[in-house]
Amino acid sequence: MFNRNVYKYDDMKRREHMAVRRTVGWYLFTHQLLEVTGKDAVPFLDKVFTGDIANLKVGRDRYTLMLDEQAQIIGDVIIMHIDEGRYWISTLFLTKLTAWLDAHKEGFDVAYENVTARYHMYAVQGPKSRELVDAIAQDRVDNLKFFGIMDTVIDGVPVKINRAGFTGEEFGYEIYFAADQIGKIEAQLKEKGAPLGAVEVTEFQIMAWTLPTEAGYYYMRDLMHTDPIEVGLEYAIDWDKDFIGKSALQSIKDAGPAREMVGFTMDEDDARVNAKDLGGPGTRVMLDGHEIGRVSKFNYSFLNEKNVGYLLVRKGTVKKGDHVAINDYDAIVTEKKFI
Amino acid sequence: MGEKIDERLPREIGEGALPSHAAIKSPWEKLMSYHDAAHYAQRYSAVVGASIMQAFRILMPDYVQRATALCENAYARLNPLFCGPYGPMSMDEHNVHPFCRGNFPGGLAGDSGDDKLLMCGRVNDFGTYRVEKELDVCYWDIIGSELCRSTTQSLQGVADGMASHLQPGPKLEYHMVEAKGCGDLHCRIVAENRGKFPMPEHEQWECFGPVGSADQIRFTPEEDMVKESQAFREECDYRFVNGTCLELDSTSYYPFVTMSNGSTYILPTIDAEIKKGTLDEEFVNHVLRCVCEAAGKSAFGEFYAKEAFRNWVGAPNDVDDGRLMGAHIEMFLQSMRIPFEIEAFNAEEVVCVIDRKAMENYMPKIVDAYIATWYGMTKTLVSARWSLWEEDSPEGKVRIRIAKKIDKFC
Repeated sequence: MFNRNVYKYDDMKRREHMAVRRTVGWYLFTHQLLEVTGKDAVPFLDKVFTGDIANLKVGRDRYTLMLDEQAQIIGDVIIMHIDEGRYWISTLFLTKLTAWLDAHKEGFDVAYENVTARYHMYAVQGPKSRELVDAIAQDRVDNLKFFGIMDTVIDGVPVKINRAGFTGEEFGYEIYFAADQIGKIEAQLKEKGAPLGAVEVTEFQIMAWTLPTEAGYYYMRDLMHTDPIEVGLEYAIDWDKDFIGKSALQSIKDAGPAREMVGFTMDEDDARVNAKDLGGPGTRVMLDGHEIGRVSKFNYSFLNEKNVGYLLVRKGTVKKGDHVAINDYDAIVTEKKFI
Repeated sequence: MGEKIDERLPREIGEGALPSHAAIKSPWEKLMSYHDAAHYAQRYSAVVGASIMQAFRILMPDYVQRATALCENAYARLNPLFCGPYGPMSMDEHNVHPFCRGNFPGGLAGDSGDDKLLMCGRVNDFGTYRVEKELDVCYWDIIGSELCRSTTQSLQGVADGMASHLQPGPKLEYHMVEAKGCGDLHCRIVAENRGKFPMPEHEQWECFGPVGSADQIRFTPEEDMVKESQAFREECDYRFVNGTCLELDSTSYYPFVTMSNGSTYILPTIDAEIKKGTLDEEFVNHVLRCVCEAAGKSAFGEFYAKEAFRNWVGAPNDVDDGRLMGAHIEMFLQSMRIPFEIEAFNAEEVVCVIDRKAMENYMPKIVDAYIATWYGMTKTLVSARWSLWEEDSPEGKVRIRIAKKIDKFC
């Protein structure tokens, strides 16, 4: 009567999700953009973010983290080096980002401006995404590397194409363009996408949850009040430079993290589980009658045809293949990636 | 009768309480925690709201007409607000992403608003075509089902207002398919897109379902229900965090708990009906006064209720006069953060001067509703020889006197 899986039996969600996995899906995926300029833009960004910004070449972008002094993650963003000395920070939490930058900009000759209203972005993701982008863009994107940005034109509209995405697909592109040209770009994607079997992804849950979860990606809610080491994001840390939170993070690394983020699958399709991605503390994860953590993410893998998600648990309590109980449902601990 | 104030009571009692201190205090120095004060403010307001709803039921006996009026008014008040500059402010607060299309992000405002009103529960689904929110606690559950309907329409107004700032997208129809005010275990909002979940057309007030995705409802059994908002729960580290990373602690819950209550839906509707000519203002005032006086008398009609109250405020054994009622009003005003001053507090009289604007909370008629309620309470909490009335109010103030009074027409 209740708890029917909101994904499994939903043909619309399945079609949108699987288009990205099998052909190509496109969707409005506009993020907030903060444009950073100024003589000290690089040292400033290097202080605030964990990744190396100084060596980020023009036309390249990078995933990086923003930590507080206790090394808790307070933001994860993409920084794009648009032009010489001009950077875009792509985020979904601009207010928090700006407040943090404001608090740390003293002594830096740096300026930043919210340019979100000027640009829209369409994501084009999936095995045939390159074919679709090539079909609509004046210049071919064949040689564009992952996290590379190029300028070109679509139907007379200047665009920036960034080879990137939140889906885990080898081929995926993000097309940035002036906000008032949205109709033209959308029309091109529809027209040239149809022969390729392209599908417009319209469901927030597919763009923000099911596709990224299968790929092992995080949405910022998963990362709140965690540190990079316990959630497996140490690759986003450049230990050779200084940044806010570095000494605390070093201490955590030396002592070893107290928790870890792991994946899980659940064979029960119609389960009542509340993860942090819907707000709140997340359902308890029980092992031998004891709580060992909480559910961070809970959604569905259309590729694997089962419920999947992430658990934030006490370090060392579980290993791959172990069984845990979530609201009395049996769940199996896995890697945090499902494709 | 003099302007005498007992030594124990500084004139500035109440000042500097919430939010500076984590408690309010009775005239006899008994503390009530910030936490309890927030709960008290919500329930007390709901009780007054229940009286006002009863008055509205007398004034407009037809359920459909009344529910329609409430729903239309709720939507019309909230929607323009969120279509205007408040919409982007709220969207910014809730981290509504620029790629969201349609009105489903309105569910975020409903969720955080519920939690701040101490109506705790959980979001069970949040997507472009369907949103589900389940409440375990609702302080307004005594007011009436018409109110439940109108709150749903206020949420619809918020959601549609937010959508006006986003790219066009699927529209959801918000329904309250279960309501604690109707006796259900939970309140449950299910919002659905009719293109995806087709259902028959209905009138605005018929926003109680049925819905097309009833089988997707995640029903939390009683043993897993919660009693407190996230900001008051250890398992949440005493923080509300929603799915889009809005984070609040309990200091954010004031003044929200004082701003929205059942009356904030009913009185504006009554005002609108007076303006339309459907209701006569003089008769409205008469009915409001009658109902609220009776409700006030009922509050302390039982002897044990008075004893419980004395214990709650720490009243000394030898105090059995108007000061009890004065204490009651002080506790309420502090928990509502309504500024006031005590002019007199002694065995003969209590005089309390209250900030009118804060007391009104944009509802002028609620002042009379409070006074009528407190008048009734005085009759049973103190005795029939005592009375409570407004007297010589300065500009912008409500001056309440509690004293003995013979009234042959009471």
